Amino acid sequence: MRLGGPPRGPCSGPSPAGPWRSPGRVQGCEKPQSRPGSTRPASPGPAAPSGVRGSPQPGRPASARRARPRTLPPFGTRLWSRRRPPSPEALGSTPRRPASPRSSLRPPPLVARGAGRAGGAARGRTEARGEVLPGQRAGKMAAPMELFCWSGGWGLPSVDLDSLTVLTYARFTGAPLKVHKVTNPWQSPSGTLPALRTSHGEVISVPHKIITHLRKEKYNADYDLSARQGADTLAFMSLLEEKLLPVLIHTFWVDTKNYVEVTRKWYAEAMPFPLNFFLPGRMQRQFMERLQLLCGEHRPENEEELEKELYQEARECLTLLSQRLGSQKFFFGDAPASLDAFVFGYLALLLQARLPSGKLQAHLRGLQNLCAYCTHVLSLYFPWDGAEGPPPRQTPAGPETEEEPYRRRNQVLSVLAGLAAMVGYALLSGIVSIQRTTPARAPGTRSLSMAEEDEEE
Amino acid sequence: MCNLPIKVVCRANAEYMSPSGKVPFIHVGNQVVSELGPIVQFVKAKGHSLSDGLDEVQKAEMKAYMELVNNMLLTAELYLQWCDETTVGEITHARYGSPYPWPLNHILAYQKQWEVKRKMKAIGWGNKTLDQVLEDVDQCCQALSQRLGTQPYFFNKQPTELDALVFGHLYTILTTQLTNDELSEKVKNYSNLLAFCRRIEQHYFEDRGKGSSSIRSS
Repeated sequence: MRLGGPPRGPCSGPSPAGPWRSPGRVQGCEKPQSRPGSTRPASPGPAAPSGVRGSPQPGRPASARRARPRTLPPFGTRLWSRRRPPSPEALGSTPRRPASPRSSLRPPPLVARGAGRAGGAARGRTEARGEVLPGQRAGKMAAPMELFCWSGGWGLPSVDLDSLTVLTYARFTGAPLKVHKVTNPWQSPSGTLPALRTSHGEVISVPHKIITHLRKEKYNADYDLSARQGADTLAFMSLLEEKLLPVLIHTFWVDTKNYVEVTRKWYAEAMPFPLNFFLPGRMQRQFMERLQLLCGEHRPENEEELEKELYQEARECLTLLSQRLGSQKFFFGDAPASLDAFVFGYLALLLQARLPSGKLQAHLRGLQNLCAYCTHVLSLYFPWDGAEGPPPRQTPAGPETEEEPYRRRNQVLSVLAGLAAMVGYALLSGIVSIQRTTPARAPGTRSLSMAEEDEEE
Repeated sequence: MCNLPIKVVCRANAEYMSPSGKVPFIHVGNQVVSELGPIVQFVKAKGHSLSDGLDEVQKAEMKAYMELVNNMLLTAELYLQWCDETTVGEITHARYGSPYPWPLNHILAYQKQWEVKRKMKAIGWGNKTLDQVLEDVDQCCQALSQRLGTQPYFFNKQPTELDALVFGHLYTILTTQLTNDELSEKVKNYSNLLAFCRRIEQHYFEDRGKGSSSIRSS
């Protein structure tokens, strides 16, 4: 049922009870989406890499992956209209954020999803990105969901754990999210990242709640899990939070070397001008506080001992995960579930960032199946993000960037500017006699007019 | 469950005596070990362990479930005790401050409450309402119930640390009188969990002759 079967959405009939279906919330088939065979492959299009969003890529067949190979017309307005018969909520609704500049005038990009492979096919429907075409049913369609998250770096689609988890989950389920990769948390509607703006305009910023909301919207990666597997998911997520999260925070934000050379560097480069001075420091303080509160109970007197203990537990946790994964492709068989999104978030960050003092990284590299798992998910669901370089930098006008060439360049520029200012002043006020080799400026005291004349030559 | 001879001593300053600030702790010879994890390790080092018969994957699951219980049930209990105004006012303050003379009981109680609230905020539970907390507890119990299924213990025939932990939490929830009984109602919804608690109580505690509140009477 995974491979090419009907799309995962729980719209396929009355749902079997599983813990994940919370029968109260999900109602049967009121949104028969993507059912009538309209299969636009999901275009996960992150905003950052190079205008993928704007460029329709016509004719890429939806897939080698699913049993619905349709070549899609580039501006599939017809498909669009067929795809989503207005759901009750969309009908009544909303003045859809009229000024939403991003959604108004863009043709839906039709990027074929992922590496489109038959193995390990993601669950979930493959929908096009929810964008409203100009003049097309604007009033009837519910606003697409927008996800704001940190942008990518170090070969990952996002550098923040929560953002990465939510993104991965969205990819797994093919949710039509408009992803805004930002580097400025103030740009997000809730002030923190990740944040999801739902189709009704409310903003959710707790990652668990975001995933719950996606589930409610019928993008449920845990649809096929048995009850016992659902219970296992909860348990393993708690394990991750208790054991791996403190260490992750410690590795990236508390450990001095890592912080200065990797984390702060990335954030300082990525953030726009005045923020890069104080935001990374503030984030560090917040994370440190969180870490303290998280493991504040065991507080041996020594910092080092605490660290050792933390890392010890994290190593055990990784080993446990490795044992649980065994040789399977995903934690629960052949299709990814929400647990996979969480695990991938942690592991990818630990593996990919080039950390100068990466003790946990070394241990993780020793666990072959986890590494293979990470690369597998990355290549399958984020194939082009791996090639992303560091986020596009804003013009480095500030003198405080930590990059060598910029600092040198700025030094040179400032020296030149100083020189020019001095010379200009001297010449204009005529008080200085400057011996110059260039004939354009003759030595000697000059009157103002003559200096000007010379310069005009 | 390991058949180790212990003597239970109740002290008001137990939290302060413990090396890590948390109860319970055990005092063996000249060593003091606190909290479940280290105590289990300690006992294991001495040669008694309940989980020897498990294979690696099962051990992983056991650890995961223990974390789940810690994460959800413990936090929910803390929340209910310290962040829910009615309970705090009527029960917790009085109970927590009872061993101490007058100003100290209020001061310590407020201090503890402030600490707990801070922790709740740090882990993201600060904004949860009571209903959401109860829902989380429900999910957790559902997970436990499904994992238990119809077996006598979580890992079939033999009790393990997980059983002990779950029993501890559930028993407390079921037998503590609070202003609202919703928490224990949630647990009671799952009959196999109830049966599990009764079974352990009968098996391991019946000879104690405690006479104090038992599950049957609540």
